Amino acid sequence: MIRTSVVAAALLASSCSSGAQYAQAVVALVDVSGTYADQRPEVVGVIRKGLLPKLTPGDTLIVIRIGSESYTRANVEASMTLDVRPSRANAQKLALANTLEAFSRKPMRTAHTDIRGAMMLGAEYLRETNAGRRTMVIFSDMEEDLPRGVKREMAPDELKGVRVLAMNVKRLGPDNANPMAYRARLASWEKQLTSHGAREFKIVLEPEKLADLLDEG
Amino acid sequence: MERFYFWPTNPAASIFALWVVSQIFLYAARVPMHRALREVGRLLGGVFRVGARWCRGLAAAAARRDHEMIVEMGKGDTEAKIGREFHRIEGAFAKELARYPDLHRKLDDVVTKIDADFQECATAAPAAPGWTEAVAAVAKMPEEIQKSAAAGEKKALQEFRETTAKRHKILSSMAPAWKEVQKIATEVSRAVSGALEATKRIDGYMTSYEQVRADDKNATRAIGWNATQLFVVSLLVMAVAMGGAFVNFNLIALPMSELVPSGSRIAGMPVATVAALVIVLMEIAAGVFAMEMLGITSFFPKLELIPRSRRRIILVVAVGGLLMLACIEASLAILREQIVESSTALKASLAGVREHPVARTATSRIPVIGQAVLGFILPWILAMVAVPLETMISTGGHIVLSAVTGAMHLGSMVCRLGGHGMRYLCEAARHVYDIYIVIPLQIERIVTSGSRQGTVGSVGVRGGARP
Repeated sequence: MIRTSVVAAALLASSCSSGAQYAQAVVALVDVSGTYADQRPEVVGVIRKGLLPKLTPGDTLIVIRIGSESYTRANVEASMTLDVRPSRANAQKLALANTLEAFSRKPMRTAHTDIRGAMMLGAEYLRETNAGRRTMVIFSDMEEDLPRGVKREMAPDELKGVRVLAMNVKRLGPDNANPMAYRARLASWEKQLTSHGAREFKIVLEPEKLADLLDEG
Repeated sequence: MERFYFWPTNPAASIFALWVVSQIFLYAARVPMHRALREVGRLLGGVFRVGARWCRGLAAAAARRDHEMIVEMGKGDTEAKIGREFHRIEGAFAKELARYPDLHRKLDDVVTKIDADFQECATAAPAAPGWTEAVAAVAKMPEEIQKSAAAGEKKALQEFRETTAKRHKILSSMAPAWKEVQKIATEVSRAVSGALEATKRIDGYMTSYEQVRADDKNATRAIGWNATQLFVVSLLVMAVAMGGAFVNFNLIALPMSELVPSGSRIAGMPVATVAALVIVLMEIAAGVFAMEMLGITSFFPKLELIPRSRRRIILVVAVGGLLMLACIEASLAILREQIVESSTALKASLAGVREHPVARTATSRIPVIGQAVLGFILPWILAMVAVPLETMISTGGHIVLSAVTGAMHLGSMVCRLGGHGMRYLCEAARHVYDIYIVIPLQIERIVTSGSRQGTVGSVGVRGGARP
């Protein structure tokens, strides 16, 4: 009888778990370099319409700028973990939307594009959340241009378990002129990111698809 | 395949050589191969036969158990019905017999009164003796005396009329007493006819009880069919109730996340969802207890033994709990509407929509009231699920055993078919084997028949040489 009770208690205890492993953490990397800086209002619009409504209580959203040297805490534009109460979570979403609105209007343009630095920073934040589903959404043309002296080498398991969704809001002139070069660049990113443990690397063309992809987890 | 070629450069020759080798080998192994195939056929057939026998045995055991269960169910059901009828009769008799002295006294009083009235109305003023003769004599008297006599006659007639009227009055005053007697007689008749009907019903139940006890096939079949019908009906009602439970659950799952933090999970489910589920289950449990205390169901025999006063306490607690849960659900339904409205407004705001006409038109209070009413009513409907639940549990055993019996019969049939199939399959394999080595077999036949002819010829020659 006692043994049965102990086994039952152990089963009950093992079945109870923290909600973190079921939560979702999303890191949005927003490119603010060069000509891509002008796309910020559009990117913020995609985050507001596509990402924020899909987040549920307990989920986390971190917005990081891709600038000249992105691997700094200063590049974190907004970070929020939604409260477990839906009403408070709604209020948080509204506050974050206002923060992003202000970010989209702020004059900002960097000379270089440190994508991997932002990725490494985002990966660290994702690991910290301990969320079950980790997604990194990159709003960039994926053209990296590191400043002189800056080195970015990712660890082999840097992006372990992270799903990377790349969304190119605006295709740059050279990409339009030579789509093959653009495709080759994306293929190279895919190879590189999956070799560093990324679960998946996917290109998103339509902003509406982003929400569906987040649901797929 | 190429690996087996003798001459890889010449596949045709290799295949031919392989064929020849196989013919020789298979011809040589024909007898043991046939024996092996026959044995395999017998083995597989035996396995299937054993399987069929096992299925048949299991089906018979399940059918026997089902029959026993049906008989027990029938006995229990009839006993319960008889018990209920006796209880009713006991109640009715206790009530009627308690009233009987009063009724009897009333009837006695009424009869005494009627008797007295009757006696009274029977006493009439006697007519004066020799009155007619006196009148005739008086008629011969002078006019004055005649007048006096006529006046006397008139007075006498008046007195007679008055007496008659008085008697009629007494008789008319007896009418309510007669009615009272009639009413009492009707009451008695009703009570007696009720008792007679109950005894008729008991008679019927006793007959069916005897039939069940005597293991009458028709009676047990009827009980089995009745159980199946009850199970199907209960299943349908349960399905509808589960639909209600689902609606109820969805109604409170969202607002529960406001009350119970959904940070942690149990078996992958958010605590808020589990809490909503628990509330729905609690309503069902409260309903089960309420139905139990009302004597509609009998899940817990122990509860039937407790005194009436305690039963009433449990009933009040169960109904009170149900009322409380219904109120909670109604308030949660209102909260749900507010959360949905807030989420809609948020989504519109995030999408940058300043005006959202759909949300504006939905500001009517009807959805809120509807949800609140639904939240209040659904627990009570869910509470009634105890009745079909009990019926489903009590008849479920028969259904399960019937299904097992059917499945085992089917299994037995399939096994028998499989056994036959295996036997014929091995037989067919033997024939196919012989077809493949038909050439050596034909050669053998020719050689055998030739040698036999030769033997016969030589025997004949020798025989012919014999004198």
